[in-house]
Amino acid sequence: MSASNKQEWGSRLGVILAVAGSAVGLGNFLRFPGQAAQHGGGAFMIPYFCALLLLGIPIGWAEWTMGRYGGRKGFHSAPAILGVIGRGRLWRYLGVIGVLIPLGVSFYYVFIEAWCLSYCFKYVGALFGGPGIGIVSGAPVGEQTGASAATFNTMIGSSADGSLFQGGVASIVWFWLAVFAINVWLVRRGLSGGIETFCKWAMPAMAVCALVVLVRVLTLDAPTPDQTVANGLGFMWNPDFEALKHPDTWMAAAGQIFFSLSVGFGVIINYASYMKRKDDLVLSGLTASATNELFEVGFGGMITLTASFVFLGATGAMAAAASGSFGLGFTTLPVVFAQMPAGNLIGALWFFMLFLAAITSSISMYQPTLAFVEEALGCTRDKAIAIVAVVGLIGSAWVVYFSGGMVALGTIDDWVGTFLIVVLAAVQVICFAWIFGMTRGMKEAHEGAYMRIPSIFRLVIQFVAPAYLLIAIGTFASQSLPGWWKGLGTNPVARNTMLLVLAVILCLVVLTAIGEKRWRAAGLDVDGERPPDDELPARSGKGGAR
Amino acid sequence: MTVLGVIFMVASLIFVWGLTFWCFYKVLTAPKDDHVVKPPDSLGG
Repeated sequence: MSASNKQEWGSRLGVILAVAGSAVGLGNFLRFPGQAAQHGGGAFMIPYFCALLLLGIPIGWAEWTMGRYGGRKGFHSAPAILGVIGRGRLWRYLGVIGVLIPLGVSFYYVFIEAWCLSYCFKYVGALFGGPGIGIVSGAPVGEQTGASAATFNTMIGSSADGSLFQGGVASIVWFWLAVFAINVWLVRRGLSGGIETFCKWAMPAMAVCALVVLVRVLTLDAPTPDQTVANGLGFMWNPDFEALKHPDTWMAAAGQIFFSLSVGFGVIINYASYMKRKDDLVLSGLTASATNELFEVGFGGMITLTASFVFLGATGAMAAAASGSFGLGFTTLPVVFAQMPAGNLIGALWFFMLFLAAITSSISMYQPTLAFVEEALGCTRDKAIAIVAVVGLIGSAWVVYFSGGMVALGTIDDWVGTFLIVVLAAVQVICFAWIFGMTRGMKEAHEGAYMRIPSIFRLVIQFVAPAYLLIAIGTFASQSLPGWWKGLGTNPVARNTMLLVLAVILCLVVLTAIGEKRWRAAGLDVDGERPPDDELPARSGKGGAR
Repeated sequence: MTVLGVIFMVASLIFVWGLTFWCFYKVLTAPKDDHVVKPPDSLGG
């Protein structure tokens, strides 16, 4: 029996927190408030919760179900599992996307994680008299914003490619290497001893940090009679029902739910494959989604724009909402913390919380690739970790070196971290509903379940979710892809970054072919042709994908 | 902040906090093993 087959979750709470940790990321705290404020405020919550119920939770259930079913057949990677569920080679090779996404996103995500840790250290240093972010206390807000933006742009090396290595290695590079090493170390400790244990500690710690920052924000004194906390909350939550008439609002809400819950990311299907046949996945999936929503709506929706409004006014909060996740998180909020009593402490807690949110996501990105390499090559876990670490380091180093204008980061984020997620979700939900079959799928989902999936979700998974995803792909293809494609032709870094991504895809396809031969030779149910109730000898330690 | 703003905010917070607490309550109080919910007949189970 391989080391891979020995991997399993220690507890049901552990797997829930690991999946929730994977889902809760920077987008919960930085992207959601901007989206809500720009699309109708409180009214945005109507399409948002509709999307949660009609897309996020049901697609998540389908993914959990496929993962656990694939695990029963001895597989833990998306290509192998989709091959079993879809009963054929086409789906197996489409499953390569489920390895590409987490691996590709990890290339830039660990760099962003390093930004969070670096800012946390700057604020901790400021508590002991250090320069902090370099914002001069008492200076005009415009000047402070300029200083904050300059600090951020210098730190990430956005001025030119290779700027982080000119005149010595920039400090952020050391943070990046440290963060990468921590990730590899945690993943190497295994599913239960590393990822699960860390998430069981990090998720409550994140909640405590968020709660402290939230209490601080809600108890702020108003600098002017208009810039009160209540008005700040009003900026975020006052509903504008006119926004509901625009299709953009509904698409934005669905997009936020989709990316926030990490469905179609290739992580849930891998994590669920380590569950036992009688482990509940319906309540577990719902709980992981609910935890993500708590961080997004309960904390993200209450903190950032409220604080921005109190100190920067309506105009500043508007600019913050429109500045995107990085602008809000790394340029605007440091200015807000500079105005706030105990701002350095709150800043340290805030960026530590963002770091935890980021690292609980990034460790989940290596595990699917690790499982894939392990079962495709039949190598030991340590060898697979070495391969994944080298590939991850090369890909991430590419993003760090080509930091000018964040072109490399943006290219991977657009193509892999945005477009392909929708594609993979469509592949998975169509495979589950139309190839595996809804009757069989719902029966499988209810094995060991602590609650029933309401019957209406059968129709949702079979018709509503695929229709939405196909419309979203069509919209992307007609509106965004031509511009992105054009960008590849005009920007050498963007083009070469895509070549890197294509090289990774090629390697994954070759590995899938090698794996398929091995799995067939080992007599595994590669095409899902055997009855659903068969149990692998691997469960008793006699076989498996290795 | 308008009355509608308060209503939307409070309703959203009650929903996410309530759902989370309910889910964790169910998870933490669920029996360890041998508790299987059969799928509804309408689903073919």
